[in-house]
Amino acid sequence: MLLNGIITGLIMGGILSLPVLGVAVIYGITGIPNFAIGVIGVLGGFVTWYFLSFNMGVAIVIGIAVCFIIGYIIQRILLTPISERGGDSTLFFIITVSVGFVFEGIIRAIFPRPNISLELPRIGTINLAGVTVEGFKIFALLFALGTLVVIRLLEEHTEIGKSWQATSQNLKLAKLIGINTNRVFSIASGIGCALACVGAIFWGSLYNLQVSTGWDLGFMGFIIAVVGGIGNIWGGIISALIMGMVMSFSGYLLGGEWQSVILYFIVILVLIIAPKGILGSERSL
Amino acid sequence: MIEPILKITGLTACYGKISAIKAINFYAHDNEIVGIVGPNGAGKTTLLESIAGSMRIKNGRIFFLGRHIEKWPVLKRRQLGLMLVPQEGNVFPMMSVKKNLEISVILSNRAERKGLIDYVYELFPILWERRKQIANTLSGGQQKMLAVGLGITSNARVMLIDEPSIGLAPKLVTRLFETLKKIKEDTKKTIVLSEQNIKILNIADRLFGLEAGKIRFDEKTKNLSRDIVKDLYLGSIS
Amino acid sequence: MKDHYEKIGTILALLLPLLFVFRGGYLQEVTGYVYLFLIQGYVAWFLFFKSGQPFFGYSVTMAVGAYGTIVLTEIFGWPILASMFISSVFAPVVGIILFLSTIRARGFYVSMASFLLAILFPKLINALQDITGGRSGLYFSGVTAFIGYKTLYILIIFLTAAVAAFFLWIMGTKTGKILTLISENDRLTQAVGINTLKYKIIAYSIAGFISGLGGAFYVNYTGFISSIDIEVFTTLYIFFIPLIGGSKVFYGPVLGALFVILMPELLVPVERYFRIFFGLIFIVVIVMLPEGLAPNIQKLFRKIHLKKT
Repeated sequence: MLLNGIITGLIMGGILSLPVLGVAVIYGITGIPNFAIGVIGVLGGFVTWYFLSFNMGVAIVIGIAVCFIIGYIIQRILLTPISERGGDSTLFFIITVSVGFVFEGIIRAIFPRPNISLELPRIGTINLAGVTVEGFKIFALLFALGTLVVIRLLEEHTEIGKSWQATSQNLKLAKLIGINTNRVFSIASGIGCALACVGAIFWGSLYNLQVSTGWDLGFMGFIIAVVGGIGNIWGGIISALIMGMVMSFSGYLLGGEWQSVILYFIVILVLIIAPKGILGSERSL
Repeated sequence: MIEPILKITGLTACYGKISAIKAINFYAHDNEIVGIVGPNGAGKTTLLESIAGSMRIKNGRIFFLGRHIEKWPVLKRRQLGLMLVPQEGNVFPMMSVKKNLEISVILSNRAERKGLIDYVYELFPILWERRKQIANTLSGGQQKMLAVGLGITSNARVMLIDEPSIGLAPKLVTRLFETLKKIKEDTKKTIVLSEQNIKILNIADRLFGLEAGKIRFDEKTKNLSRDIVKDLYLGSIS
Repeated sequence: MKDHYEKIGTILALLLPLLFVFRGGYLQEVTGYVYLFLIQGYVAWFLFFKSGQPFFGYSVTMAVGAYGTIVLTEIFGWPILASMFISSVFAPVVGIILFLSTIRARGFYVSMASFLLAILFPKLINALQDITGGRSGLYFSGVTAFIGYKTLYILIIFLTAAVAAFFLWIMGTKTGKILTLISENDRLTQAVGINTLKYKIIAYSIAGFISGLGGAFYVNYTGFISSIDIEVFTTLYIFFIPLIGGSKVFYGPVLGALFVILMPELLVPVERYFRIFFGLIFIVVIVMLPEGLAPNIQKLFRKIHLKKT
């Protein structure tokens, strides 16, 4: 049971780490807490589901691309102008929740079916020290970790990645030095939403996808990012794995209803005791 | 007379409702160092930020390389060839020295980049020694050098530097000013710097005296006596 | 003086729906529902906008009042009025504990902690479904069994008007003025030697009590409560009431409640497209009319008035 719990926790944490990464990337670069990315990601999941019968690869690409474009446009036309006028976190909280309402409405309007399940091919099962795990779940976990590595590599070795770092460290100087910070913001927001979409696709193929999953992914993504030290990508992924464990074990020991109660309770405690997160963050809320 | 590359007429900018600078006329030629002197709160920083575009102006025209740029955003001005090295927050704190310089060449073409960075290392050998150190662990003087270095690597036609001498030991000020002079001679570019330090007289070709948001004088340095410049500060004290 | 007319006018206007008693039916039912949320809206107006306390747990204080009433009456067999009162007294405790534990943090952390509590609470209700009924909820006859539905409706109308008048009164007292100061500049208020902690606790106590009382009336009026009624969106809607209506003016929350609570009720047939429209309006109001609807409607009236003369 212990091993089983650990494996379930790791996989849950791995999937959760994708929206967490999305939140962390967006917050780390733009300084905006975005609560809508979960809903946008689920919209991408629904789009993928719609095209799935056509071709799996194409469907996934379309879903992710839709999310990237939505994230890009929202940042461009709404969030960047507001942050230039000097919006605070509370304002962004309200605005992005409203944005979430809009996309929730869009999902409801386009896809009348409230509850879908993405039928992605299973990769068989793998035997891990006596516990059989679906290969697809292992793939999901590895994919999440791989995404983290790719983001780190991008940051260190490409011009756009360096511009991200510069923008997040000193926005004013980044502008003066000639970085198109508006574009950096928009791309960051697009990538954040695309990551949430990947998270939603995995979620939809392992469990099932509803509109409310979007809010869950968005809020959980945000709070887990807070626990890790918001804006800190490593902290985000570590805290996602820890929280995955917490959910897995509380599910085993107390039953499914208690999972999220324990999760949110721990997060509130972390907020009260160590507001900068377990690994700390250069930025604070 | 040669047309100046940067010319400003009737520039007014405000903080809220209080105007920080009023109807300023200012110009700079190619290949010269222009100093803007004046006491604290005279509007030096406001003037430089208005030129660079990080501050909105209320009135006036800014003419640079044959174009009216007063309505342009920072990025577009930067692409045309204006770069401001601000007084504070002028390095990327969590990056190494090397990475700081690598990011600031972003607008130059690839062939020039290495040369620009090497030139900075040549001017400030200490930055070469510390190239792997994270910027916010450098000393104040080294950070200032890095900030000026970022200005150089940006390869801008006109470099605006806001009070480079502030917080530096007198010896370092002299050295920094000599380096600025060397930069001008090497690159034939324009450097505009705001200053409170009297040593500016040694390097500037022309000086603008700014007081309470207005230009008090505009003279070639060789025509100015130390006393007039000193008077500007003392006048503000009494 | 003109300002005075506006305030007295608002309170009198709040009493107007008493006339619906003669018609009864759907109109009366919906009005009572809107009023119950208007009470919460005034709590948010007072605590968030007038006292500057970043609190997002309105659905929690409301739920404590509501569930407390049911649990005390049904399980412990207390008399209904006593359980309503005791659970309303208990409601602010949640807010105050949260406030005191986040006292070292500032701004958005406090908002987030209270907002997370608003997410947590319905989940806790689900987890405790043996007592609370979870998603399937609890039925409750409460005071309607003694005084009837109509009398309860009349009581709610009067309660809402009284709550509005009370907040109006308290903003005029010394406490209210100090709370305004705190909302404008917390540090400065502290620096001039005012015990801001005391006044903040007063603000949380008042807001929590009224919110809990509103919750207690809510469960009596609707006769039913489940975890879905106190979802995190409830807290957001409550927060949007003064925000959309206009937080600067006294009748702002009234406009906001009409907009936020009544509109969804009336537009049920097009519910599928409703959220899009709703979200867009929120964004437009927040971005383009940061003062809310009220001052702009005022301007519109003035324009029409000018054209006539």
